[in-house]
Amino acid sequence: MVEKIKTEVQQLLISGKIKGFLGLREQHGQVGPYLFTDAQDLEGMVIGDRLKPGDSRYPLNKQLMRIARCYPDEVFGVMVRGCDERGLRTLFGSNQLNPEKVVSVGIACPQELADACECLKPFPDEFVAGEPAEARSFQTVAKLDAMEIEDRFKVWLAEFSRCIKCYGCRNICPMCYCKDCTLESRDFLAIGSLPAENPIFHLTRAIHMAGRCIDCGLCNEVCPADIPLRTLYKKIADIVEEEFHYRPGYGEAGTRPSFKILGEDLQH
Amino acid sequence: MAGLAAAFGSGAMTNSIAELEDADCILVIGSNTTSSHPLVATRIFRAKEKGAKVIVVDPRKIQLVHQADLHVRHNLGTDVALVNGIMHVILANGWHNQAFVDERTEGFEELRGVVEQYTPERTAEITGVSVEDIRTMAEWYAKARASSIVYCMGITQHTTGVDNVKSLANLAMLTGHIGRESTGVNPLRGQNNVQGACDMGGLPNVYPGYQAVNVPENREKFEKVWNAKLSDKVGLTIPGILEGLNSGSVKAVYVVGENPMVSDPDIHHVEKALRSAELLVVQDIFLTPTAELAHVVLPGASFAEKDGTFSNTERRVQRVRQAIKPIGQARADWEIIQDLSTRFGYPMNYESPAAILDEVAQVTPSYGGITFDRLEGDGLSWPCPNSEHPGTKFLHAGRFSRGLGLFHAIEYKPPAEVVDVDYPFWLTTGRVHVHYHTGTMTRNSPSLHEEMPEGFLEINPQDARTLGVKSGDTVRVSSRRGEVLVRVDLTTRVRQGMVFMPFHFVESCANILTNPAHDPIAKIPEYKVCAVTLEKAA
Repeated sequence: MVEKIKTEVQQLLISGKIKGFLGLREQHGQVGPYLFTDAQDLEGMVIGDRLKPGDSRYPLNKQLMRIARCYPDEVFGVMVRGCDERGLRTLFGSNQLNPEKVVSVGIACPQELADACECLKPFPDEFVAGEPAEARSFQTVAKLDAMEIEDRFKVWLAEFSRCIKCYGCRNICPMCYCKDCTLESRDFLAIGSLPAENPIFHLTRAIHMAGRCIDCGLCNEVCPADIPLRTLYKKIADIVEEEFHYRPGYGEAGTRPSFKILGEDLQH
Repeated sequence: MAGLAAAFGSGAMTNSIAELEDADCILVIGSNTTSSHPLVATRIFRAKEKGAKVIVVDPRKIQLVHQADLHVRHNLGTDVALVNGIMHVILANGWHNQAFVDERTEGFEELRGVVEQYTPERTAEITGVSVEDIRTMAEWYAKARASSIVYCMGITQHTTGVDNVKSLANLAMLTGHIGRESTGVNPLRGQNNVQGACDMGGLPNVYPGYQAVNVPENREKFEKVWNAKLSDKVGLTIPGILEGLNSGSVKAVYVVGENPMVSDPDIHHVEKALRSAELLVVQDIFLTPTAELAHVVLPGASFAEKDGTFSNTERRVQRVRQAIKPIGQARADWEIIQDLSTRFGYPMNYESPAAILDEVAQVTPSYGGITFDRLEGDGLSWPCPNSEHPGTKFLHAGRFSRGLGLFHAIEYKPPAEVVDVDYPFWLTTGRVHVHYHTGTMTRNSPSLHEEMPEGFLEINPQDARTLGVKSGDTVRVSSRRGEVLVRVDLTTRVRQGMVFMPFHFVESCANILTNPAHDPIAKIPEYKVCAVTLEKAA
């Protein structure tokens, strides 16, 4: 699979269409993000399957935002899965990345990963490697929805009680780009004790994921307390779709349907 | 570590961190795991998810209590009595593993003789733990297929620290919960490389790999390799160095990566001792309160600026790689030490950290097969005696490092200082989740500082009412050694009669108050117990 990506990237670099390609590289037995700039040196490029599919993914779009800010005139390529493509579209829509300056190179996720992610679309619109897997529905959400609301609340309180306030969920999130974060505001949240103020800390983050979370699941993977954050944000995405007929990253790039919050039109 | 070395012959975590996930019963005693070792806590969470019984023994209601099937709050410093009481119940009910005791251990009869005296009723009286809870702990721990013990400074920082550790070793051997997957006695080491520092002989009595300095064969071996005459005398511990400074027998001190002006007990005493040094050299990455007293400060390189290895709490040796060049005049510790040695007339000419690790492998049997080229990926856990050896996941399978496991019959001794009319509150100290030790690194981080900018004193709301203080008020905390002003935090995390302070904050320094009385063997001070009095500050 990675050979097809390499071929594509090599052509993009040689033709001068991109200045560099942001992908993954294995070095010293570890996988990490890497900006490939030399078509002749794509040694070590991997797609992030170390022990099982997708176990070594990174928020490449988040890194891309940083690179793009340093080199605003250059075009960069980036490896995308289905979720990353949704992320790119949403970031284009909120002017965090310029679609003119990004070339995506897509891969389709294997069924095993699509199942584990309960992914609604485990492949980007265009991809150079992989076979499209079948979509999966949100069973984890359905299971919780079947519970009485009081019991559901107890489940979440217990999950959040393990939080060590490491901010890993926010720091890994490819959609978290605000300069000032409510989670660090003393006016909203208590500081200095563990667990993080329960349930306000996690509910605050969940609300901020509305219209933003593209369901990549990195928050869930990185959480040292195994809090099922992905399930929480999947539910948020369901509510947003129900109320506003919008699910981040599924429309055309740069578009967002007209909807109103507190009477204000967000679409200018 | 002295306690485990005496019982088993090896002073380190017996099992690996990941194994905790598959334990059926985990006894966490004296470890605020979610704050101090959060990735070990992850494994405890997962074990709980899989149905393990989690027992938390801690005087404070720490975060891990939310996950506990049983939380026991014993009186400060009564660990030996509690563990003896648990063993009493196990023996009385025949829940011990007689086959393991017969085949793998010695000293059982002496242990039985002492443990017989610790009836549940007597144990309850000393520890404040109910007879029922003592029985439950004994049953869960003894009867599980695989039980693990996890402990930390709450066990070791006592005048009876070594006794406490030996007691936990007794419990594991009595029930045969050692030498198998997901069992064991597991001390959590704090710093990323404190295990490595000890492994390398950063202790007064041993060469690398715990080879005693007073064994002639060891000395001869190192004299040959290093081509130098070596002393056969055990060196000084920190309390010994401070005493030596006061008496004049110690003239110069070279402090590398330590901050005794915040971390050691009875700070006033420490300051007096350090100021009396004719030469004080401090090597660190920031100008610490200790470095401020120094005649010479040597800037060390941080983790991001150097190559080498760290050996973590599960004996795993891992590579650290230079990410940036050292800033300013900073240099890697090994380069500074090498230059100093050369100027003292013993030239050292190591080319690189890899060359040093090669020598480590040559002189240290447990590191014999560990070389840079084998440390790609996840690294290797010692013992790893040769270049083919895959490393060791858990220790003491089939045989203890010392041969037979040794039971120690241990009587309970109260803490060195107990409460009285003048000092009616028990003070215990510890860490918080955002700061590390003396804050040399963490208090220089803006985001961590923002989360917790100052120290505090945890006090039970009932006690606060009696004293007439409200949350956020400042109190004067005094012990026989000094006094500090600190803001109070009203919380039921502590019981009535007991207060807690984190020790990271130089401006409200808990170690001005703590008792330098120390364990007779390990010399570790009793940071976890002393007596104080409180009054509302004007």
